[in-house]
Amino acid sequence: MTATEAVTTNGGEVVLAARDVSHFYGSLAALQDVNIEVRRGEVVGLVGDNGAGKSTLLKILCGAVRPSQGSLFIDGKEVSFHSPRESRDKGIEVVYQDLALATELSVTENIFLGRETRRRGLVGRMRVLDRPAMASEARKALDALGIGISDVRARTGLLSGGERQAVAVARAVTWGQKVLLLDEPTAALAVVEQRKIEELVRQVRKQHVGVIIVSHNLRQVSELCDRVHILLHGRVAGVLPKEQATPEELVRWITGVAVESGEDIPEEVAEAELHPEE
Amino acid sequence: MTTTAPSKRAVTIHDRLAEREQQLARRRRMIEAIQGQGLVLVFVVVFVIMWTSSPYFFTINNLATAAGVVSVLGVMAVAETMVIIGGEIDVSIGSVMALSSVLIGMCVGWGINPWVASLIAALAAAGIGLLNGILVVWFKINSLVVTLGMYSIALGIAYMLSNSSTVIVGGSDFEQLGSGNIWKLPIQFFVFLGLWAVGYATLRWTALGRHIYAVGNNYEAAVRAGIRADMLRIGLFITIALSAALAGVIVTSELSSAAPQVGDPYLLAVVTAAILGGASLAGGRGTLVGTLVAVGILGVLQNGFALLSLSVYTQYMVIGVLLILAVLTDQLARRAER
Repeated sequence: MTATEAVTTNGGEVVLAARDVSHFYGSLAALQDVNIEVRRGEVVGLVGDNGAGKSTLLKILCGAVRPSQGSLFIDGKEVSFHSPRESRDKGIEVVYQDLALATELSVTENIFLGRETRRRGLVGRMRVLDRPAMASEARKALDALGIGISDVRARTGLLSGGERQAVAVARAVTWGQKVLLLDEPTAALAVVEQRKIEELVRQVRKQHVGVIIVSHNLRQVSELCDRVHILLHGRVAGVLPKEQATPEELVRWITGVAVESGEDIPEEVAEAELHPEE
Repeated sequence: MTTTAPSKRAVTIHDRLAEREQQLARRRRMIEAIQGQGLVLVFVVVFVIMWTSSPYFFTINNLATAAGVVSVLGVMAVAETMVIIGGEIDVSIGSVMALSSVLIGMCVGWGINPWVASLIAALAAAGIGLLNGILVVWFKINSLVVTLGMYSIALGIAYMLSNSSTVIVGGSDFEQLGSGNIWKLPIQFFVFLGLWAVGYATLRWTALGRHIYAVGNNYEAAVRAGIRADMLRIGLFITIALSAALAGVIVTSELSSAAPQVGDPYLLAVVTAAILGGASLAGGRGTLVGTLVAVGILGVLQNGFALLSLSVYTQYMVIGVLLILAVLTDQLARRAER
């Protein structure tokens, strides 16, 4: 039994799982036999050094890249994505680090970008947008996450970096009913704004969405995640539950020190997790 | 005490950040207002100057003539504004227009009905637009370079096909398009207004319009949002080429003749109108209301300078100054947004 299989948490049912996923760029193995899963209402961290395979794994999970081997499961059913559009249709959304918003458009327009609501009837046939409906939906989405943006008609170019990222998260949650993939969501933000996004992730968890977060910020990962997968040279080197995932410990795993010294902390801790003494 | 101190400081920094954000937002709104109303102000000033300077300016006949002249420019300026908002530029329109005119002349020479000839010219123009779009989108060549090359190619073909000569294009009802009137105003002016209205409604009220802004503003974000950005850009190039063909049809009808020189005055005037109207070459920013006012300014200047028998060079200089001022305010607006 490997560490990966052993560690489970007491969240909801598994929404997204990757089983024995490998990916090769030519003869170079970017990922080898990787297993990862996320449950509803669970935040899973994904850490690793540059080139460890984090972004490749994320791209596979969102359908931007097809894995060379292995399979993906949504709600237990095997799926294969040919494009990010297909994964979106299945309720998986990605938030990128570089604030992927159209700054000339309003908050509402960004949330509905590419998925606009049309008016009903003949006017709708003429492809006229239903602005009031979209604005009130956007308002609801922001309020549900406790995002304090007063005017949804404001151009996103006028918002701060943190507010823009909050809009990106709100958009992802609006459409991603199952899984949210966060790729370095706070890398471009000031510390105060990082905290806000972290709070936002906690709100998202309450909405029973599964979250996978890739981050270099180990303080953030250790505070936020229920479980952290550590990638090393394209393999899952270990999986640490929340209690074990201190920044110091994560560094030992990311750099491979823990692996070399033959430690097997995850499995023991996992046992403790599954059979709590109290 | 010691534990509250850092958090207190953090709050202050945050407050200061928020304050700065608000300050920037205020400044941006102000600049946007100046940009929008400044243009209208320029129009009013220019209009009043011309009105007081020449007794012939504010007469229905003169204004109707000016409206007719400016409509050809306006038809292309509407499409150019959309292309620029979409993050691209098309400078080939002047020669596409000339080529359309020459093609109509050739077809009519072969005994083809002028309207059918116009349709053939439009198809040829659409082909050029498609080619422009493919070169920009698939081969990822800068649109200024592609359309500059296409400008040269189309103009060369126009001169070659026509042997630099002018062909008379008759046909009673065909001439009506460029010389007929409705309520004392030229028909082509209504064609321009109709096209403008369609463009305005598309940009403002439809998803397609929002997508054009998004693609020009942040291409990556648009693609990630599932917008078919490349098809959209190719579509924009075809649209503007068609608008150039329409302009060619109107001018050919107006002059009752086809010639390769008809596009010359429009080479840069169209881009000038779009940018003067507030469309930003960086993409994602601009409105057709701005373009409408800018076309009005250019029309009044052109007409007024002719009435005052001022040299065309003075007109060039005034337009140049206005253009640079317009771009300057756009630049200031961007700086305010950090």
